[in-house]
Amino acid sequence: MSANGPVVVATELHRRYGSGDTAVDALDGVSAGFERDRFTAIMGPSGSGKSTLMHILAGLDKPTSGRVELDGVDITRLDDGELTQLRRDKLGFVFQFFNLLPVLTAEENLVLPLSIAGRKPDQQWVDQLIRTVGLEDRRTHRPSELSGGQQQRVAVARALVSKPAVVFADEPTGNLDSKASADVLRLLRGAVDDFDQTVVMVTHDPGAAAHADRLITLQDGKIVSDAAPGSADDVIELQKRFD
Amino acid sequence: MTSLGLKSLWARKVRALLTSFAVFLGVAFVAGSFVLTDTIFAAFDEIFTESLKGTSVVITAENPVEQESGEIPSVSASLLPKVVRTPGVREAAGAIFTPGAFFDAENEKIGNKFQPKFISSTLPGELESLTYVDGHPPRGPTEASLDKAAAEDADLKPGDKIKLIGQGNLETFRLVGLTQLGNASFGGASIAQVTLPVAQRLTHKRGRFDQISVAADDGVSAAALKRRIAKRMPTGVRVETAQENADRASDEIKDALGFLRTFLLVFGFIAVFVGSFLIFNTFSITVAQRISEFGMLRTLGASRPQILTMVMVEAMGVGLLGALLGIAGGFLIAAAINVLFEAIGIDLPTTSLVLETRTVVVALLVGLLVTLVSSLIPALRSTRVPPIAALHSFRPVPTRKRRLVYLALSILLGVAGLGMVLLGLFGSGGASTRAGLMGGGAVAVVFAVSLFSPRLVPPLAALAGWPLERLRHLTGRLARENAERNPSRTAVTAAALMIGVTLVAFVTVFAAGLKSTVAQVVDENFAGGLVIQNTDGFSPIPNGTAKAAEQVPGVELVATIRGAEAKLLEGGQPGSKTKVDAPSPDIGETVNIEWEKGGPETLRNLGDREAIVSNDFADSHGLEPGDRFGLLTQTGARPRFRVAGQFDSKLGVLGSVVVTQAVMARDFDQTQDLTDFVKVEEGADAAQVQELLTKGVELAFPVAEVLNQGELKESREEQINQLVMLVYALLVFAILISLFGIANTLALSIHERTRELGMLRAIGMSRRQVRTMIRYEAVITALIGGILGLILGLIFATLIAQPLKDEGFTLSYPIVSLVVLMVLAGLAGVLAAIIPARRASRLDVLESLQYE
Repeated sequence: MSANGPVVVATELHRRYGSGDTAVDALDGVSAGFERDRFTAIMGPSGSGKSTLMHILAGLDKPTSGRVELDGVDITRLDDGELTQLRRDKLGFVFQFFNLLPVLTAEENLVLPLSIAGRKPDQQWVDQLIRTVGLEDRRTHRPSELSGGQQQRVAVARALVSKPAVVFADEPTGNLDSKASADVLRLLRGAVDDFDQTVVMVTHDPGAAAHADRLITLQDGKIVSDAAPGSADDVIELQKRFD
Repeated sequence: MTSLGLKSLWARKVRALLTSFAVFLGVAFVAGSFVLTDTIFAAFDEIFTESLKGTSVVITAENPVEQESGEIPSVSASLLPKVVRTPGVREAAGAIFTPGAFFDAENEKIGNKFQPKFISSTLPGELESLTYVDGHPPRGPTEASLDKAAAEDADLKPGDKIKLIGQGNLETFRLVGLTQLGNASFGGASIAQVTLPVAQRLTHKRGRFDQISVAADDGVSAAALKRRIAKRMPTGVRVETAQENADRASDEIKDALGFLRTFLLVFGFIAVFVGSFLIFNTFSITVAQRISEFGMLRTLGASRPQILTMVMVEAMGVGLLGALLGIAGGFLIAAAINVLFEAIGIDLPTTSLVLETRTVVVALLVGLLVTLVSSLIPALRSTRVPPIAALHSFRPVPTRKRRLVYLALSILLGVAGLGMVLLGLFGSGGASTRAGLMGGGAVAVVFAVSLFSPRLVPPLAALAGWPLERLRHLTGRLARENAERNPSRTAVTAAALMIGVTLVAFVTVFAAGLKSTVAQVVDENFAGGLVIQNTDGFSPIPNGTAKAAEQVPGVELVATIRGAEAKLLEGGQPGSKTKVDAPSPDIGETVNIEWEKGGPETLRNLGDREAIVSNDFADSHGLEPGDRFGLLTQTGARPRFRVAGQFDSKLGVLGSVVVTQAVMARDFDQTQDLTDFVKVEEGADAAQVQELLTKGVELAFPVAEVLNQGELKESREEQINQLVMLVYALLVFAILISLFGIANTLALSIHERTRELGMLRAIGMSRRQVRTMIRYEAVITALIGGILGLILGLIFATLIAQPLKDEGFTLSYPIVSLVVLMVLAGLAGVLAAIIPARRASRLDVLESLQYE
């Protein structure tokens, strides 16, 4: 595992929702760098700003102030077209609700980012991904014919198919049983270890966070802890301090 | 539950408004049809009443047989002294009011083609109903007046020259006054006034009047005076009070224009029918989207009837809103249709728009009923939502049983509908019964196809989507898959457009058939000859036209045809109206007559008491050569004829009964030619002869025009084209509603797929790609409707052409027009998708992802 310097750098991020008396500061001065080829988990109680942070890092939301550099580009200044291009080239997403297109097969869903970008998929790479996520015999199945765990595994493979600079996972195990959760986390871990991917994951599951290399904990819009997660129990202990 | 329904409606105002819009458009069309026709009738009433302002009693000739030309018989001027001598008559005068044509000094026609123009005579004193807004009434043989509107239109002022033509020669007058009739327009008609002797000379009515107007002494009632005068009048003369005369004229106009109301209402109900598909779809989709809400209400203890009430109250709100807006919109539609009519040269009189109570009642009923009926099935579906639906996502899938029921129903409806159409086509019965059968059958077939069409959606979507998938790989593919995702929703949406396309395709094919039939008639009848007809295409041409044409060098002969309508009195079915033609004996030199019994010599030797009849006439009345039959003519004469020969009138120029021109003058009082056929001398240059004829004839008789074979075809085709254009324009409303339906379905589907769209954007889909995908989905839906409509339209046109084949109708399929129609259907999809596609592409990615 090599730490090649940060691929995503957030500097003094502020995000305020609303205005006047009812204004809420979701992020209150967050700065952090996310190194290449590492698996970072972000935790925090409800309303801590962990989701807001991830949305801003991924260019889905804009900060009230501060900047986010992704691969050296300030993404807070990009327009919609440039953001679209960025998402095609540099980002992969895994969502809590598997978000596959019901009208496409598993394999078609998997290569969807490439199809959208109008690129030809590298069949060897696609085959390798399908083997990795263990869905060789499910290629032509539609999402409605797959279990939740299988759907989420397709979603993970879809996030990896364009070999993005960073994969953002938003509560990827939030809707899965423990067996399926373990599969998905193993895949994300493997993406970092075997395919040199960078993964940033928001979760409230201490067991999930324990798979990461690094755990950032947020409270009230500020980073209150930044360390290696240790075991699941260590994570639980850590979170107890901030609840 | 009622209040919850209303609150729920309020919470979804935009959607309610969208649905109301479908009701609005349909109701507006229905209301507009009533408003426009009521207004036209009111205007005519005003004209008739106004024109008899100072008159108590009116004397006219009986008109036992209405003529297509609208000409009415005249009375003898010798009646006037008897009228004047009747006690109680203060003043009586004869008047002329006969169709003619007006030209300016440069021989430019005044007024448009279809505008009725009348030459009328001045009346003395209070009998005169025209008021002079400028100048004075004509006093001498060289003076004339014109109505203000026509004068302004032609840019004429008192002092200018004006030329009038009736049945004789064109005469030049000095314009001395401008007239107006009360406050009403003349109903698009134009009136030129001259002194009585001039009017009689122009219209060839020396010693005759169209009407005698009578003013009563003070204290003498119109009814009493009428009785006194009537006693002194011979048979065949009609004596009426001014009120009776105005009422009769008004009734006749309503009869004549009644078809207009029916015609417009048919299009109104087509719009309502299309709208009902939109309402059904919108309610189906919204009920599906609110399943957890209904489940929640059920867990709280709401009963099924309560849920039903709630949804029906929402529907009623939508219907009521649409109907109320529709009544207001009816005024706009009425004005729009009137503009449309004016654009094709049909000027109808209007006064301020009339809103009858009946219009309001019908509009409200139509709006409410169509909404309630269309939303009934979705509302019933909402009651079947189990309480558990509140807790987890519940998707009712149509059971196999229900699908089989739908299939059986669609086949049943289809067969019944087709049966009704065929019965209407080939069965016996009155015209309106048969039209009703065909219309009802067509509606049943449309329902059958839309019930069946969910099964057709996948293959049709694949067909329509194929080029798009080739063009834009992924977006095309996704668009097709999305269109197929909910086949019944796509099917109903497409069915709305299908109705419009069916009608357009039908009209297009039928019109093409008519045109090719007309072309065939012209080609088979007038090889190489020239034709002289009235510029309006149907009125008679002045006497003397044929004589003038014969003088032109290069003309070998001019054959003429005169015509009138008569009623069959005896022999066959009495009372049926018959077209009687009187050709000159040499007609065979210029047009082709298919003799069945007899030959050209039969016509040349035709006697005063003989007639030649068409096959159809002979068949339907069981007449053989030698048999006799009697006719009632417009003058009241009852001539009897012996059948001397028989011909095939199919594709011909001659009507059912052929008599000599002497008989036409004696018994029908008709001496004007309908059409003159010119045979060009062998070796003469036809084009040059035509040019000479044009100069010679059109200068003296500017109401006549000389046409060659090609031009004759064009002039007939132009008439068909105009009608077709009118039908297209009126169908625009129905098509507009169906486009609205596509947009509405798309918007609701996009709403359902918000999160999916967010995901697509998150993994790199551009706004442009989203727009393209939605647009293609709309195009595929529209093309499904287009393809189905095209097929139905072709089937209907082919069916209806079958019984017409005996009359020489040839069907032809205008491939290019039909391809254009499909392209337009696709473009309509693009149009419908503009707003939904824009909204979908502008969705905020983050918000969409978090959308539940």
